[in-house]
Amino acid sequence: MIKEKIQQYISKDAKVEFCDNAAIFEVSASEIKKVAGDLHGNKNLLFKLITATDERAENDCFKIWYVFGIPKENLFIIPFIQLKNTTEFPSISLIIYESLNFEKKIQTFFGLTPTGSYDLRPIILHENWPTDIFPLRKDFNWQARPETASGVYRFQEVKGEGIYEIPVGPIHAGIIEPGHFRFSVAGERIVLLEPRLGFTHKGSEKLFEVLSLGDKVKLSEKISGDSSFSHSLAFCQALEKLSRINVPARARYLRVIYAELERLANHLGDIGAIMMDTGFNFGGAQGARLREIVMRINERITGSRFLRNVNVISGVVKDIDDKEKNKLSLELEKINKDFYEVIAVAENSTSLLNRLKGTGALSAEISKNHGVLGVAGKAVGIQNDARVDYPYAAYDELLPGEIATEQDGDVYARFRVRIKETFASIKIIQDALRKLPEGCTSIADPDVIFKKNALAISVVEGWRGEILYFVTTGTDGNISRVAPRDPSFINWGVLRYAGFGNIIPDFPLINKSFNLSYSGNDL
Amino acid sequence: MKILVWAIQFIFTPAISPLCVGIIKKIKAWLQNRQGAGIFQLYKDLWKLLHKDEIISRDASWIFRYAPFIIFAVTIVVGGSIPLFASFLGNTLTGDMLVVVYALAVSTFFLALGGMDTGSAFGGFGSSREMTISALAEGGLIFSLLTVGLISGTTNLFAISGFGMFAESRHFFPVLLAFGGFFIVLLAETARFPYDNPDTHLELTMIHEAMLLEYSGKRLALMEWASANKLFIFSALGANLFFPLGLAQNMDAGAIVTGIAAFMVKIFIFCLVIALIESGMAKFRFFRLPDLLLISFILNVVALGLMY
Repeated sequence: MIKEKIQQYISKDAKVEFCDNAAIFEVSASEIKKVAGDLHGNKNLLFKLITATDERAENDCFKIWYVFGIPKENLFIIPFIQLKNTTEFPSISLIIYESLNFEKKIQTFFGLTPTGSYDLRPIILHENWPTDIFPLRKDFNWQARPETASGVYRFQEVKGEGIYEIPVGPIHAGIIEPGHFRFSVAGERIVLLEPRLGFTHKGSEKLFEVLSLGDKVKLSEKISGDSSFSHSLAFCQALEKLSRINVPARARYLRVIYAELERLANHLGDIGAIMMDTGFNFGGAQGARLREIVMRINERITGSRFLRNVNVISGVVKDIDDKEKNKLSLELEKINKDFYEVIAVAENSTSLLNRLKGTGALSAEISKNHGVLGVAGKAVGIQNDARVDYPYAAYDELLPGEIATEQDGDVYARFRVRIKETFASIKIIQDALRKLPEGCTSIADPDVIFKKNALAISVVEGWRGEILYFVTTGTDGNISRVAPRDPSFINWGVLRYAGFGNIIPDFPLINKSFNLSYSGNDL
Repeated sequence: MKILVWAIQFIFTPAISPLCVGIIKKIKAWLQNRQGAGIFQLYKDLWKLLHKDEIISRDASWIFRYAPFIIFAVTIVVGGSIPLFASFLGNTLTGDMLVVVYALAVSTFFLALGGMDTGSAFGGFGSSREMTISALAEGGLIFSLLTVGLISGTTNLFAISGFGMFAESRHFFPVLLAFGGFFIVLLAETARFPYDNPDTHLELTMIHEAMLLEYSGKRLALMEWASANKLFIFSALGANLFFPLGLAQNMDAGAIVTGIAAFMVKIFIFCLVIALIESGMAKFRFFRLPDLLLISFILNVVALGLMY
């Protein structure tokens, strides 16, 4: 079945290996450009991720994996290349633009050089990290502390009369995550915006290799704190695939409910924050209030405002009883009504709409070329949503709904997408509560034995967009590599295009309308 | 007695201005379903800042060091030179409208220089935006004051405030139009909505606050206090030049108490209106602000035209 579906994407003489819903095959380094370009350009597959694994101990090589997804089919095509006796691999960043940062990351963390890339500056690690120490190689001891280096990082420079640079951050006046933005500005107009991140780098990918299994799940909750549940869900799903554990039906529904509660809380907060950033205080206060209601519901049901310690391999540990079911349903109705009224006021405020419309517009062409994900992608009409494309948990049995999209790609469009998704989330939760099947919520003491030398891809539509986990096991059946990809990692790459041509005082609003994760990018 | 009244006149502005800021913040908090800080919070903040050490950039020149004193001194002098609760204090030395307007311009000038002095990018664009706005606001301010000046036949602010502005019905519309123009300038000069968001933490959107980012401790206290004074001064000008009701006309103690009470009510109404504006609308996009100031100028020109 899978074989037939993937036939059209892979040449017949390729030796394809199947891991669950992923088709893996080797490509020679010289051909990867052609293969990747063909899959992405001609076959219209969605580019997901490039990552490397250090297999020098077992196979005496580094492997570089190129993950592509077939939307609506829940299938992944994964060509990989082997690097034996070389540390160079061909760059595909001129064919698939968003691969640039993935290649930079492989260069910085594995010491493998993408040949033909137009930008070889390091990413995430800063000048104080020695350029000859590569933390994701297996021979790097995660507890070792290398000597402080002192390199130089060159920002892109814009020359010309009246152009000046504004360095902003990493420390900001408000309580937000740290990130540095370098603006080149003509008067108030942004000519160039270059974000520099990495200030929240925590070595998560290395930690995934050394922590115990339970701690790995906990770590996944901290990849990006506001998406705790989605991240741990994606990770647990990958582990469940690798260990062939079936999740009880009730747990699949509960996962939908919790994931949507997380989306609800964050969208409500973001909608308020967007209004607050324009100075529309009424909307800002109401958004914060509604978000807080949902956060308290989270705490009441699961004991954690951020839905932490809920996901485990084989299901969830927090159940919703009948009393809670009715209560939650009533509360959601009230939130729905309140939110509707708040939005009605916001949509009637000309001063607010004037600030939102036309600000930070991202063209559909740039978005498509750079594979923009999530809210930002939906705001230009890209109909990608992991809940529909790669149904997981119980999404295929719940309201299919249509994917909320807008066309203009400006702050207002992203604002509207969030509003639509908020209403949709409430409906999905109500539907899931109605259909909630009886049974257990997880398997007690599941026998977690992973397949050896296997690979799993797990996708979850977090509230920002598609979260993807790439997990491999080694010859001993232990987890050998975990590469989480938060949608922020791809979307940070296009922020500069959204900022271009806008005026400096509008940038915080544009940034807020994307609301990307720094932590999820820096890992 | 006269010395006492003058003493009250001079202490009034710095003593009451932090209260205005506190009241505006309190009303805004209520309108956002929040409890909010007490209305005396700014007094406590100033007290705290005055007891703090400060950090001054190595690259700062004398301008950065002295600007807060100059700006604060200007607001004290101007605050004492405008009619607050009594119109009979005929201050002919500094009570002229042009003296007041351009004394305030001097403080803006030093504020902008102080912002740029340390060479930080935020101070630079804060100053640049401040000068853009204050240059455009100046025309509106002068013309609106000119309207009431022409009606009363004097440029002395005390004399204007002692003049029955609505005594003749033909002055009704010009004064209202001029007040409209003045109020737009008031919002611009005191860094309120829709020009500036005094509560924001977003450096890149700031105008007034961006110029103060490098200040700390005692100098920051003076700067904050001076901007509260400025808000108070503009509210007082608006309240007393355009609606000169209840001002004490003579040295009678009862009249002065009435004058103070009436003045406080008028100032409260100004605070209320500002708080309502800031709660009900979004800040304007920067490049729309000149249009608004142009409207102020046009209103004033129409007001002047209606007089003849």
